[in-house]
Amino acid sequence: MEGIRSNACSRDLLRKIKEFTLSILEDLSEGRSPLIFIPRFRIYCTNFDSNCCSCNKPNGHEILTFQKESHVHRIDVLLRVLLIVQQLLQENKHASKRDIYYMHPLVFSDQTVVDRAINDICILLQCSRHNLNVVSVGNGLVMGWLRFFEAERKFDCIKSPNTAHTIPVLVEDVKDLVSVAHYILIVEKESVFQRLANDKFCSKNRCIVITGRGYPDVSTRRFLRLLVDKLCLPVYCLVDCDPYGFDILATYRFGSMQMAYDAKFLRVPQIQWLGAFPSDSENYNLPQQCLLPLTLEDKRRTEAMLQRCYLHQEVPGWRSELELMLQRGTKFEIEALSVHSLSFLSEVYIPSAAACQTSATPKLPIKMSIVGSLFSPLSPPSFLTSLSLHFLLFLSSNQRQSPQLSPLS
Amino acid sequence: MDISSVQKLCIHLISSAYQRCRLSEDLCRLSVVLESTQATPIIRVSISDTGTGSCLEEFQDLKYNREGIGTEKWGKWMVMVCISDNKIYHYHLNLRESVSSRMLTRLPSIPKNDAKFRQVPHGTEVCLSISDTIDALHTEIKCFFRKMLILMIPVSSTATLMPYNLYAEHMVQILSPFTYLIQHFILTLTFDRVGFFFKCVAAELVIKQEDSPGLLCENVFLPNECSPLNFSSSNVERLKSGLEEYVLKHGNILNNKCDSCFSSREQLKLSSGVACSMESQRGPGLIVEAVIAISELAESPCFRSCRNRTEVLHFKDFSPCSVPVASLGALTSIDWRSYGLTLRGVVDQADQALIEWESLPPDLRIDMAIHCYRKHKHQPDRHLIKKAVKLALDDFKGKYSGFLLSAHAVKVCSYAPDLASSIAGMILSSNDSEFQSKCASLLGLMQPQEIGRQTVEDRIKGMIISVIETNDRKPEKNKEAAPLLFEDDHPQDPEPIPHSEDYEGGDDVFSFSD
Repeated sequence: MEGIRSNACSRDLLRKIKEFTLSILEDLSEGRSPLIFIPRFRIYCTNFDSNCCSCNKPNGHEILTFQKESHVHRIDVLLRVLLIVQQLLQENKHASKRDIYYMHPLVFSDQTVVDRAINDICILLQCSRHNLNVVSVGNGLVMGWLRFFEAERKFDCIKSPNTAHTIPVLVEDVKDLVSVAHYILIVEKESVFQRLANDKFCSKNRCIVITGRGYPDVSTRRFLRLLVDKLCLPVYCLVDCDPYGFDILATYRFGSMQMAYDAKFLRVPQIQWLGAFPSDSENYNLPQQCLLPLTLEDKRRTEAMLQRCYLHQEVPGWRSELELMLQRGTKFEIEALSVHSLSFLSEVYIPSAAACQTSATPKLPIKMSIVGSLFSPLSPPSFLTSLSLHFLLFLSSNQRQSPQLSPLS
Repeated sequence: MDISSVQKLCIHLISSAYQRCRLSEDLCRLSVVLESTQATPIIRVSISDTGTGSCLEEFQDLKYNREGIGTEKWGKWMVMVCISDNKIYHYHLNLRESVSSRMLTRLPSIPKNDAKFRQVPHGTEVCLSISDTIDALHTEIKCFFRKMLILMIPVSSTATLMPYNLYAEHMVQILSPFTYLIQHFILTLTFDRVGFFFKCVAAELVIKQEDSPGLLCENVFLPNECSPLNFSSSNVERLKSGLEEYVLKHGNILNNKCDSCFSSREQLKLSSGVACSMESQRGPGLIVEAVIAISELAESPCFRSCRNRTEVLHFKDFSPCSVPVASLGALTSIDWRSYGLTLRGVVDQADQALIEWESLPPDLRIDMAIHCYRKHKHQPDRHLIKKAVKLALDDFKGKYSGFLLSAHAVKVCSYAPDLASSIAGMILSSNDSEFQSKCASLLGLMQPQEIGRQTVEDRIKGMIISVIETNDRKPEKNKEAAPLLFEDDHPQDPEPIPHSEDYEGGDDVFSFSD
């Protein structure tokens, strides 16, 4: 779905919208209730058979008819949104989900109703959301050794690698992407992102840091996916040691159930879990008061997550850590690591966690230490010419050709 | 037959006479005469008919509730005159005798004069004296006859058509055994229709007071000669036609339909349903017929007091009856909501059930009649009554668009304008004229842009409503397929989680109900 050229894609979508309209009219003219088949996708199930959810095929259909009031309301919303989408495509304009919500706020009643209709339309028309010219307000932040253009706007993060930039909304318009980074670090929370910025983490480590500020939005995930695809860099993810943190980690790596139909374009299977792990509380001598007991809701969520098939099949190590968290019955936030010092995270925890990631597999080169020794301390960005940027990019691409397996994956 | 009042005894005797007429193969007359004098409170009641010969057991089987009525309410004797093929029999029935075998006394019979009685091979006259007010009895009997008219009883299945002028002559002849009535009958029995008159039961009610000259009151009850029935019409068609007349004439009180309420026949809509049980070793099949009449009376002064209530008339074996328990259960158990009606309750009002509705539209009035019958004695069956009423409701839905739509369908229909607006928008805002032409063709319109948005919307809305109504008429089991066809319909990880306004990701927001 991704990557279809804009104009051709719009024409194709407009053709599909017309076919859909005609099919409804045909049913009505023959006295039949229209049947709207919406394939349903999932990214996981609770079966542990191999390949149960890996084929990206629908696992059933929803059939919307005029039979149930809830269905008719859903069809009403779907048609209203589809009419807006048709106009956006015809006029080559963009609108945010929130814009669409405010076109009929009384009917839609809630943003999630519009979101669902947009997802339904994406599934019906077999496209990604941005193909509909529907965008979201960017929520993610990025900093580090990166430069790119979005439309005519230049994002020169390299000039000031510790300054946060908002992730562009129209990711398909991102061009001329260059980077001298050697890895990408995803952090769950904005507070951690700011901590790293304050500690000038990117000045000391040639990397790109991204945060989705909680659960990542589509733009953040698409941008991350673009970076990984184009730059071929290893990706690490730092989340809280709690069920929410783990779920956010899983969303980055495997996608979300809500947008399962588009998961293959949004997930980043290369992601390695950098921390925080349940065992970190002992390894880093976290005081007892920093450890919070898991609530009943936390336990229920954790037990539900343990049933996800992809954990069994693809990252059994992650699943073991999750089981360990459940056994211990405690959780902690990344900020708890600052109990020793404010810069503990950037100066000790991340470097050592990265080292652990690599050194735990003796057969593999210790990627992070190599990166650190080669590029830290960094040369001032102003010295970097376009040529050197490309050279470094080439270098980082070659480095990635070595197997980069996390001991946990 | 348990009789709890002198009025009920009279009604029972009249009903029996009616049934004898119904079973006859000829045009029949039924005459009820109430005679009184100012000197005494005694009313002499005479019930005569020209139906089939009576069966003595039906009189002997009468069970009086002596305590309830009081012996002072009636005379000791009931006199019966029965005309058979060649004789006229006289009987005395002792109403105060408790042993049924000793109730009946046969008096000397009289040979029948064949020449004089050739038009009346059979007949029965029952006379008794009772102590009651003539007004109360008059009202009760009139009410009975008005209800009987609903059945539009034909004489028998083998009856033939007769020109109406012969009919009138015939009626005069058959009255001859009971000569004291004939003059009154001829005075009142008039026909204004040229053509054929279907043989039926003609009934009259005459009130005479010996002290006053002439008649005080007289009523003739005949089925409406304008009804489109013919001799082959089924019982349910007759019931339907009868209820139609009953409603149009405000309970058969008026001689003609109420023009102020029913300026057009279109304002009254009817449907019917018939449910039958199979004949088996346990008994003959039971037939239940139900007819529903819905009147649209926007500004009717006549029905102002009847809003939100429906009178359900009950008949058993071709006679009005009290409300059976089975019927109350059946009426209560119907899923009225699937017909857009909300039941408040069903009240038994002795001779009729009264359904009370929640917020029935003010311009609607619903009437209903239920008739249970078979050849032998039976108890009404709740299941069959319910089935017949449901079939009548379904019949109504099928025939009249927009009526009795379920509450659910009404809600779904409320989306039709919005759905139509969106679809019309997609057609009209498209820049593809070929697509617009195809749509116009499917809508049966010219080029939509030449017609205007409103016409396109109205056309689509009409089609949507038609589809919803069609679907609502289908029985539940035939309605469209189950909406979910999943191997696993439930999200595996349904736990809710707080999420930001524009959150796109985590599985936890996958909290859709389906």
